Amino acid sequence: MDRNSSVTRRTVMKGIGGIAALSMSNATIADAQAALTDPLPSDPHTADTYRAIVDAIIPRTPQLEAELGPEHVPGGLDAELEKFLIWDFNHFQEIRSEMVTEKLDGSGVGMPRAMFEFSLDTGGLLSSDLDAVLDLADLSLLDLLDLGLDADALEDYLTFGAVESFDVSFADLDTEREGVAEFELTVEADGEVYHQVLQNYPYAPVFTLAFDLVAAEFLATGQNHEPPAANEKFPGGGTFTRLAPQDRLRCLWTIVDGGVLDALDDLLSPMIPDVGILKFVVMAVNGLHGFGYYTEWSGYGSTKTATPNDRVMEVSEGEVQSRQQTDYPGPAPGYAANWRHAVPGGFKDPKAKNLNLPDDLAGDDVIDGLGGDN
Amino acid sequence: MNDPDVIVVGAGADGPAAAWKLATDHGLDVLILEAGAWHGNKNWPKPHADAGGTVSTDPADLDGKLLDEQFTHREADANDPTWGYLRVGPADHSRAPWFRNLHQNAFIWQISAVGGTSLHYFANHPRAYPYAIDTQDHWPISYEELVPYYQLNEEMTSTQQAPMTGKEEVFIEGATNAGYPLIESKNVTETGWRPQANAVEVPGRETSNGQPLDADYEGSFSYDDGFRGDTLVGDHFQGSSTPVDAPVRDKARKSSNVSYVPPALDTNNDPTMGNVAIRPNAYVTNIETTGGPGSIEASGVTFRDSWSGQTQTVGADTVVLAGGCIESPRLWLNSGLPDDGWVGKGLTTHWFDWVVGVYDDETVAEINPEGEHMDPYIGQNSAVRFDKPGVGGMEDIGMSPGLVSYADYLFSQAGYSFDTPVDPDEPWDTRGYVVGEELKRRMSDYRQTKALLILTDDLPRQDNGVSLDNTFSDEHGAVPKIKWSPHPDDDAKRDELCRIAARIHKEAGAEHVHRCDWPPLLLHMQSSMRMGKVLDANAEAKNVDRLFVADHSALANGLGGPNPTNTGQALALRTADKIASLYF
Repeated sequence: MDRNSSVTRRTVMKGIGGIAALSMSNATIADAQAALTDPLPSDPHTADTYRAIVDAIIPRTPQLEAELGPEHVPGGLDAELEKFLIWDFNHFQEIRSEMVTEKLDGSGVGMPRAMFEFSLDTGGLLSSDLDAVLDLADLSLLDLLDLGLDADALEDYLTFGAVESFDVSFADLDTEREGVAEFELTVEADGEVYHQVLQNYPYAPVFTLAFDLVAAEFLATGQNHEPPAANEKFPGGGTFTRLAPQDRLRCLWTIVDGGVLDALDDLLSPMIPDVGILKFVVMAVNGLHGFGYYTEWSGYGSTKTATPNDRVMEVSEGEVQSRQQTDYPGPAPGYAANWRHAVPGGFKDPKAKNLNLPDDLAGDDVIDGLGGDN
Repeated sequence: MNDPDVIVVGAGADGPAAAWKLATDHGLDVLILEAGAWHGNKNWPKPHADAGGTVSTDPADLDGKLLDEQFTHREADANDPTWGYLRVGPADHSRAPWFRNLHQNAFIWQISAVGGTSLHYFANHPRAYPYAIDTQDHWPISYEELVPYYQLNEEMTSTQQAPMTGKEEVFIEGATNAGYPLIESKNVTETGWRPQANAVEVPGRETSNGQPLDADYEGSFSYDDGFRGDTLVGDHFQGSSTPVDAPVRDKARKSSNVSYVPPALDTNNDPTMGNVAIRPNAYVTNIETTGGPGSIEASGVTFRDSWSGQTQTVGADTVVLAGGCIESPRLWLNSGLPDDGWVGKGLTTHWFDWVVGVYDDETVAEINPEGEHMDPYIGQNSAVRFDKPGVGGMEDIGMSPGLVSYADYLFSQAGYSFDTPVDPDEPWDTRGYVVGEELKRRMSDYRQTKALLILTDDLPRQDNGVSLDNTFSDEHGAVPKIKWSPHPDDDAKRDELCRIAARIHKEAGAEHVHRCDWPPLLLHMQSSMRMGKVLDANAEAKNVDRLFVADHSALANGLGGPNPTNTGQALALRTADKIASLYF
């Protein structure tokens, strides 16, 4: 792992993974240039995990072509919707340097540094990914028994796929200085090092580790409808991407409804600064498909993951893939349309002193006996 | 303004209304501090990229064409909660939004900017049900006392009955076939349907070619060409700056940056009135007080400039909180003011749901012989409604497709429709998230799809609301932790309204009815600092003198279901009168 690479600080994430990767692969200069300018240099585990979600919610649908037309064939991956999810989650929460404290108890309004830093080392062939999680959580296999978890099943099912090590840490944290803290994310996967400096907590890659762990528990408790299998579409992904498409969604749903966060709280806590927000994240994972796919977002083309002020529409709004699927032409300054008023002359509106409201203000059948806390 | 009589914290829907009245009718000097950006003001030509100016007092600073440039009306551009120009966060768009800790499958939808959350509202401006004010026992004041303030507010906001276009005609067909009568009163005491009272000017009040605005109109929609009034665009949730080219004050839809901010600034040009200054990018972090336990009073505030990070303290004779249902209690608690157990609590949110009808072409053509589709993007977003005092109401809604896909199919507490059985006794065909091929199929029918928003009369409960989070803090202190869950009684009312909605869809001929079973959507937030608990009948804090609340958090309950903007603003106008009579 290259911890000494010269890092250019920027206020947006910048692809520097290519430099480190070059030393370990036979990449060409052209590949390196591409890596340097890619605004979203996600490691393969992160990218493939979100790709697996996008593919489950908005897949390619060749079966619709004959009935609805060829514009209904492409799916979310054709619009690179996984980049939308990753960008949004990585811009989810800003952490201020002056609010971070070295103290572990988080007294006052300070947040303990350890809450935002962790290192997961899967330890190579001789160790299991569950061992790495137990190491991180400072737990033993026996502790899992106490937590009501089936350690053998978890060990069988849990894999972080291509991830060999995963490290989140502050970049040059100075708690004496007011300002936005930056984070370094270093993921080693498939023998390459992916290194990013971000100005927000890197939730997008961190959530993917949680999704694998939840998927392992989902399988361990037999909630899957189909057997898991290695998925050649998402080779960098872990347990989560091995689930069948509908099982991926069922698995996410166990985070909201199924008590999985209670069961896995001790294992997830070292990775997620506040495990409870995963329920909100499941709302967002689903909802962002609406904000991304069915809006004009993909029309921003090469600028779609730039900072908001730098995004430019590169195709006309009616030409965006999902706009063609909905037959929506995009915003207009006005519409020539027939309209009328339903109440000729408008509502009756006496002065307050002439109101004469009836005795029965609720009209007909109010449900009886309902009240709040008065 | 160095020595204001009143400081108003927040320039959302209600703060500017209070400020306008304090300056206009009572001659008081008012400083409004707003945490977010100011769009359409020449002092901030690039409000999300550059710090711009400091304060604005001159109505000539307002620039409608600049607003047109900034409000693109694109959906993700506007509404994405992380990077949209209508979000809760610092004006600087290279920074993340302000974090709220929410441990739920739920969504909070607010905006920090001059105009606040009224920047993306549908402009639905109904009054509360008299039932909810006079007989639910929450309110320390009567409905009759609010009526003159409603009337003033409706005049200021051009509130009138909304126009019926294609989608509304389909709703009326369904409601009429289901046996519901037309209500012809603003003071609703019986069940029925009616046009929305919307804070939007009449469509095509004047047109560019002198012809009426109808399907044959071929003129321009530009203000510069002579167009005045509503242009029938259904993208109000993206900010709506139509008619294009119009000055800010002549935009058709009256969010508070249009209805109240211009006349508030006009006071600076009238020597008989007080003055109003508005400072955006100013996040208030502390309410300053004097006095000891038992008799403290507000004496000013400390705020932080969100671009420079500099803090400043300003004194005033009275302080008015208008930061909304989350920020007002957060500020109170971060300021260490006394909490008697109700600060931030009792939050109501109309316990929404969403019932979708998909129609076939023939059905719609029979109802609308002149139009082939309902076209949910044409006409005002929500122009017709159903009311049932004591239970709640519903609204017929059309929106652009990104918002529709989210609201119709990607926001649920019922799980995925492929695993969610439908009770055969219920009147909907499907329930829950819709994904995959089915989602694409449904969205291919976008132009023949509309939804009914359920607005439940949920009641205040002490378990629901805002507290300080003990995990995360930001530059303004501990972040807010939010919790809202329904009471079984509220579920019962919501279920009844959903059944009525499905019936109205089916009576209009819908071929498919889908119940989303939404999780909590915190959009119509009310009553987290409510009168009768935290506040007295003047909306002054019971435990802190000279501190008032003039935002929707002061409402004593959820008004029975009708949208809260009209009542929030009416109450803010009344509170301004109370402040003047009590302290000036």
